[in-house]
Amino acid sequence: MQTTRELEAALEAAIREATKYRSLVESAPDAIVVVDDAGRIVLLNAQTERMFGYARHELMGQPVETLVPTRLHGRHLLHRAAYVADPRVRVMGAGLELYGLRRDRTEFAVEISLSPISTDTGLLVSSAIRDVTDRKRAEDRFRALLESAPDAMVIVDRDGLIRLVNSQTERLFGYARAELLGKPVEMLVPARLRAQHPAHRRGYFDAPRVRPMGAGLELYGLRHDGGEFPVEISLSPLTTEGELLVSSSIRDITERKRFARMLSEKNVELERANRAKDRFLATMSHELRTPLNAVIGFTGTLLMQLPGPLNADQERQLRTVQGSARQLLSLINDLLDLAKIEAGKVVPELEPVSCRELLDSVAATLHPLAAAKGLHLEIAAPEPDIVVHTDRRALSQIVLNLATNAIKFTEQGEIRIAVEPTATGVTPGVALHVSDTGIGIRAADLPRLFEAFQQFGDARAREGSGLGLHLSQKLAEMLGGRIDCESTHRRGSRFTLTLAAS
Amino acid sequence: MRTPAHILLIEDDVASRELILYLLGAFGYPTTAAADGVAGLAAIRHDPPDLVICDIQLPLLDGREIARRVKAEAALRTIPLIAVTASAMVGERQSVLAAGFDAYIAKPITPETFVAEIEAFLPAAQRAARAR
Repeated sequence: MQTTRELEAALEAAIREATKYRSLVESAPDAIVVVDDAGRIVLLNAQTERMFGYARHELMGQPVETLVPTRLHGRHLLHRAAYVADPRVRVMGAGLELYGLRRDRTEFAVEISLSPISTDTGLLVSSAIRDVTDRKRAEDRFRALLESAPDAMVIVDRDGLIRLVNSQTERLFGYARAELLGKPVEMLVPARLRAQHPAHRRGYFDAPRVRPMGAGLELYGLRHDGGEFPVEISLSPLTTEGELLVSSSIRDITERKRFARMLSEKNVELERANRAKDRFLATMSHELRTPLNAVIGFTGTLLMQLPGPLNADQERQLRTVQGSARQLLSLINDLLDLAKIEAGKVVPELEPVSCRELLDSVAATLHPLAAAKGLHLEIAAPEPDIVVHTDRRALSQIVLNLATNAIKFTEQGEIRIAVEPTATGVTPGVALHVSDTGIGIRAADLPRLFEAFQQFGDARAREGSGLGLHLSQKLAEMLGGRIDCESTHRRGSRFTLTLAAS
Repeated sequence: MRTPAHILLIEDDVASRELILYLLGAFGYPTTAAADGVAGLAAIRHDPPDLVICDIQLPLLDGREIARRVKAEAALRTIPLIAVTASAMVGERQSVLAAGFDAYIAKPITPETFVAEIEAFLPAAQRAARAR
């Protein structure tokens, strides 16, 4: 039997203990709510009153579910029963979003940690409740940012555990968010590459900066279903609440790779087609020339009268055969030249070319032709000489072509080849004129003059391949120049080749 | 005393063969002909001619290969080899000369000048007196 004095002392000690405990509870920054094993509130602090909007006496003895939104009551009862069965200090509902319910029925985001208190009368559970509305809002903003990213974003901590992912990540890897959070990020890396990954990861944390992952390496992601896909990953350090995290943005490059492969296949195909075309041209050239060899050759031996004398008709007819055969040959040659130019097979060999020397050699070649028609061939070489940096063969081919045309379409008068410097524009150039006093060209025909197989004028035009001017213009373009034509029908023509002098 | 050169023609195109044989014959050169590369090379080895006129695209043995083999044999190396080809692609001339040919003539040949071009490779004593 205790004495009154003893009772008083015990009571005093209890009050002291309680006061000490209360002051401890009151000084905590969080709302503290202590419930008994039946879930009734047995203790709360002033922070609880403020946070939930209740007076202390309104909550004492009430079920703790008073502070929980109604829609979560069922879940809460189950969790509470489970906690009582295995009581230990821990965070409530890891990975879940928790909400508190105020007296005015508004909800707010909370974070709760639980600790068991054993007493004589049974198990009490103390919950420390923190209002995380602000933090949650910041997180929501951050999450919205993550969600708005086009790529899968995976945020990983120093231990390689996944802390945050966006829904692009869920879709790309085929996992639900809850299956990823808190797990090692290596679960997204194919097994064969997994072993090296943690070392790379640690290396990154030691020197964190924004950079692509594994420059020059082929990276792959591993889907939930075991499928692999090529990825491109860029990494950036992210410091939140003093903790260093790494944000990786992961892009599926399957499509891009497929496209690149397709492009390179197309390129190979194109190259093959090009080679086939080259082979075709080579074969065609060979196969067309071979029969022409006998035609031109035997026409020649007959005209040389090697087998015996010819009468006038035979000779005239054989000259016609010879002319036609040569025309056919020049057509084949022009076509091949053209094909080579268009295939980019002709690379101009640039060298200094003296205009005077060029004109002299053209004149030497064409004098007999002009003289045979009684035409005067005049060469007006520049004084002083002009030197152009160009392809000698192409330039002389153009001039020969233009001058041969001039002789062909002129019956009397003169052919004049002249060179003069041009001062138009900023770059100095040279203009090469081939003028004649021939039949000229109708104004209507001028626009199509340089097209392939355009033949104007009389029967003389049909002696050529129909490719001469076209080919000349292509050659001029290859040399960075152009050919223009001025002409008056029945009076004569002037073709002008302009080139840059340098 | 002139002894016209003995010329060997290796050419698979019948019409071209007939043309060149006729031309050389008309100018006084006794000429034999082979229609493929293997027969041509055998003819060169069996009875070395004074000059060889050779097509490039030939059955059995390509003209370039004939040139390489002939120029590799000390006894045959001095025989002038003249390529006559209808192939006119870029670099053909260089590739033919690189194979060992001494000259290159494009087809179609110019009958008026063909024999003179060939004779440039013959010593004066082996040139025929101009025929007819």
